[in-house]
Amino acid sequence: MNGFLEYVPGTSLLHRMNPVAKLLFAVIFAIMCFCTSNLVFLGAMLVLGLVMAASCGMMRQTFGLMKAVFVFSLILALLLILTSSSGEPLVDLPWGYIGTGSILAAVTTSVRLEAAAIPLFLTFYVTKMSDLSNSVVKVLHVPYKYAFTFTSTVHFIPVFMNDMKGIMEAQTARGVEFDQGGFVNKVRLMVPLCVPLLVSSVRKTNSAAIAAEVRGFNLRTRESGYKQYPFAAYDIAALVLVIALVVVAVILH
Amino acid sequence: MIEIRNFTFTYRESDAPVVRDINLSIPAGSFVGITGAAGSGKSTLTYAMNGIIPHCYPGDFFGSVTVDGLDTCETSLTDISQIVGSVCQDIDSQIVTSIVEDEMLYGLENFGVPHNEIEKRVEEALEDMGISDLRDRVIASLSGGQKQKVAIASILALKPKVLMLDEPTAELDPASSLQVFQLLARYAREHGTTVVVVEQKIALVSEFADMLVIVDKGTIRFADTPANVLAHSEELLEIGVNCPRATTLMNRLAADGVYNGPVCRNVEEACYALMGILGGNPVGRALAESEAIA
Repeated sequence: MNGFLEYVPGTSLLHRMNPVAKLLFAVIFAIMCFCTSNLVFLGAMLVLGLVMAASCGMMRQTFGLMKAVFVFSLILALLLILTSSSGEPLVDLPWGYIGTGSILAAVTTSVRLEAAAIPLFLTFYVTKMSDLSNSVVKVLHVPYKYAFTFTSTVHFIPVFMNDMKGIMEAQTARGVEFDQGGFVNKVRLMVPLCVPLLVSSVRKTNSAAIAAEVRGFNLRTRESGYKQYPFAAYDIAALVLVIALVVVAVILH
Repeated sequence: MIEIRNFTFTYRESDAPVVRDINLSIPAGSFVGITGAAGSGKSTLTYAMNGIIPHCYPGDFFGSVTVDGLDTCETSLTDISQIVGSVCQDIDSQIVTSIVEDEMLYGLENFGVPHNEIEKRVEEALEDMGISDLRDRVIASLSGGQKQKVAIASILALKPKVLMLDEPTAELDPASSLQVFQLLARYAREHGTTVVVVEQKIALVSEFADMLVIVDKGTIRFADTPANVLAHSEELLEIGVNCPRATTLMNRLAADGVYNGPVCRNVEEACYALMGILGGNPVGRALAESEAIA
């Protein structure tokens, strides 16, 4: 079972692409989704995202992500439905009405968020975190400190989640009932556990910092990376494609 | 290689010194085991040798510690690290990447090892630890023992003059612990590396070390060859260090005047010694036979 944003090994085209190309593609793709409100076009982009996910065998992870984004977009959609009164009136509200336009806007927002999120998340699933940070440092000249901060954060998420699980199991063994009384009760019981978790995290982070320092963290420069990240024809093709999509999106508006 | 003179250290947050009046000289190429009861100051002693004290843990530092002629107080941690390679106690926090290969590359890249040499170093270090097959694995999917070997290999690749390990076998079963020590001993012999290892398993460390250092309440109680240190099994027991049972047995026989040979570090040596004592009697013959079968 892979964790959040954890690399899934593979040999698909997306796996082999240049990390910088993938990242640029995903970021431009996400911006592009916000350049247009054309539902058909956004739908097509969502399908394109799913095709990309299928091509590298990440459908399961993608559906998991889509579910999470859907919950979030539902809140936005609800707000849109209740606040934007446009199109043919369907339901009257004290401050306006819910119209066909409001529903269209809500659906567009949901589809847009889903479409924008998929390539971004896929990038993390098909790229080793170290390749991503090394290439960003090498090609995009991002200072190594920032890249390292980001990779360490992602690296430590599963470690801390494991710690939390350990603390909760220890509490369960002493009779704390995390499985009773639903979500609110669970959160209420978890809050006091954040203190020991915080203490152990700070300690771990401190030893990680020392460990990085004794292995020459301060000497690292842009040229240090051993692996090279050349652009292949398909990387350039992908970037051309996404720029073309931006143009189409802007034209369609 | 490492010289510690009148070293006393108090962590900023504590009142009493954790280690006091330490004098220790570690010659180049030696294999040194440090042991002692929990909280006796073993780790603090290693932090002093690899520069983490005073560079990362502030406090009152008295005396001097020199590594390969460099005073640890005047040399930056990064420079000390190029001489002393350290494997920490908490392996999870030492690991900075998620793939074995990247973990191996990390230190090599940072210390500016020429790129045409990196591949060879990575291959050799993985081979030395017997984990060449793990090269492309995700570290999170490895067992505790495998992670430990990856952590050690990533330091070996840097070819430090001194290798410092804090309880490298804490998470390992007896067979893997022995394997790690065998690999370390072989590596040190082949490369002339000085090895300093903090280890609770005294029987194991006595087999491999040239010098055994016993730390008790922040001071060095013994620093001698394992045989000479283990001769004091009664005193060791008093300070919370358990000798191998075979050693304790033979030391008692020696105290009773039954045995007068060298200190036995393990069952095999005790067996031979007993065969010698018992000579021609049936128990001796039975022991000799069982030894022959083994």
